[in-house]
Amino acid sequence: MRGGRRLFPLLLLALLRGLCHGREPAPGAVTCGSVLKLLNTRHSVRLHSHEVKYGSGSGQQSVTGVEASDDANSYWRIRGKSDGSCQRGTPVKCGQAIRLTHVNTGKNLHTHHFPSPLSNNQEVSAFGDDGEGDDLDIWTVQCSGTYWEREDAVRFKHVGTEVFLSITGEQYGHPIRGQREVHGMPAANHHNYWKAMEGVFIKPSVDPAKHDEL
Amino acid sequence: VLSDEEKRKQYDAYGEEGLKDGHQSSHGDIFSHFFGDFGFMFGGNPRQQDRNIPRGSDIIVDLEVTLEEVYSGNFVEVVRNKPVARQAPGKRKCNCRQEMRTTQLGPGRFQMTQEVVCDECPNVKLVNEERTLEVEIEPGVRDGMEYPFIGEGEPHVDGEPGDLRFRIKVLKHPVFERRGDDLYTNVTISLVEALTGFEMDISHLDGHKVHVARDKITKPGAKLWKKGEGLPNFDNNNIKGSLIITFDVEFPKEQLTPEQREGECSELPRAGKNLAQLIQGL
Repeated sequence: MRGGRRLFPLLLLALLRGLCHGREPAPGAVTCGSVLKLLNTRHSVRLHSHEVKYGSGSGQQSVTGVEASDDANSYWRIRGKSDGSCQRGTPVKCGQAIRLTHVNTGKNLHTHHFPSPLSNNQEVSAFGDDGEGDDLDIWTVQCSGTYWEREDAVRFKHVGTEVFLSITGEQYGHPIRGQREVHGMPAANHHNYWKAMEGVFIKPSVDPAKHDEL
Repeated sequence: VLSDEEKRKQYDAYGEEGLKDGHQSSHGDIFSHFFGDFGFMFGGNPRQQDRNIPRGSDIIVDLEVTLEEVYSGNFVEVVRNKPVARQAPGKRKCNCRQEMRTTQLGPGRFQMTQEVVCDECPNVKLVNEERTLEVEIEPGVRDGMEYPFIGEGEPHVDGEPGDLRFRIKVLKHPVFERRGDDLYTNVTISLVEALTGFEMDISHLDGHKVHVARDKITKPGAKLWKKGEGLPNFDNNNIKGSLIITFDVEFPKEQLTPEQREGECSELPRAGKNLAQLIQGL
């Protein structure tokens, strides 16, 4: 009996410790700092950018959809807003505002009131320098549930112009033959679903400062 | 931004030409398509000496680390999901290249054309696979240092995959500033503490306390060196830099009352001097 009384608080301590350190929140969630490719589920192409500027509209760096799954120019980095709010390893919540930075050129996914060249929707470009652009680089992740899970198809809604990142299938000719136009459209439909595919996903981590010794 | 005049004209016009699919002749397209691929591939890997084995692109991932992690070290787990070439039934075209073909149109009349010539290889398909990688943040690591993972970059169906490189980016710290292996911090003390001395503990990056004690006068801007309380040296973790504390003196915000000027303040030293005499002595 005496041993039992001493054991119980120890077990409780171990259980609470386990809850703090042993379990990660949302193990399948996309986290800040991760680098990934996004697949448009309706058209099976990946979000892509490259050092090719639009010939019309804003003249900024173009953003397209490509069929290849092994193109390094399709990698985008997930970051919070410029206030440093999303630390490395923090799972992204549904409804959270993020920026997507193109890894190879350092420009952010961006949209503004310019018409897109093929479909006359809203032009989506890559803008900024070394990861810093402006307030039109911010998108909210729309999904059901608490966190953006890698398995889920999510939407990206632009903060500022309220359009959804979409592809409707229009294709460019030379010199980027076969690449699809990526644009913003106001309607939420099956053209604006995206899924995380290949990438380097930083595992969700608990902030160590939140779990002081009991 | 293109310096090639012909390419610039093409890029400027592609928006309108997009709807006219199949309008262009084929040779120019294929050539620029492959040229773009090879140009990028070799650009991403300047060290490659052997141009015979094609290589996939390298991926550079910025890894943000805190000064706490630079002090104590840490491990970061990542999941790498990447396309891997797997055998598939049938054959495919590989090692495609441009060759010049000379065809005879008639006696003494020849035509040279560019042709795409390919070999036949076993068919491969790209399948996504996942594995967990662990990146170690070593104590003392510096901004810009890289941790490579060979072969974890982009695959190349005709050759080797590129590498995955984690590049360390050290974040700014609210309390400590890093200069090499030394740490700099500012501490504000009151006017009385500056004149009469003080004792305090400073919390370091791993939580341990650095004890500071002064019994002499501390002037504003005075620096205190604490050897061994800086960051560990990357090459030899047993050697640590120094912690340099700069003291700032906080002067009273409101003007002194007549009583205080006469030395009625009870916080002054036991020596019996009033405030005016003390300041005159300085």
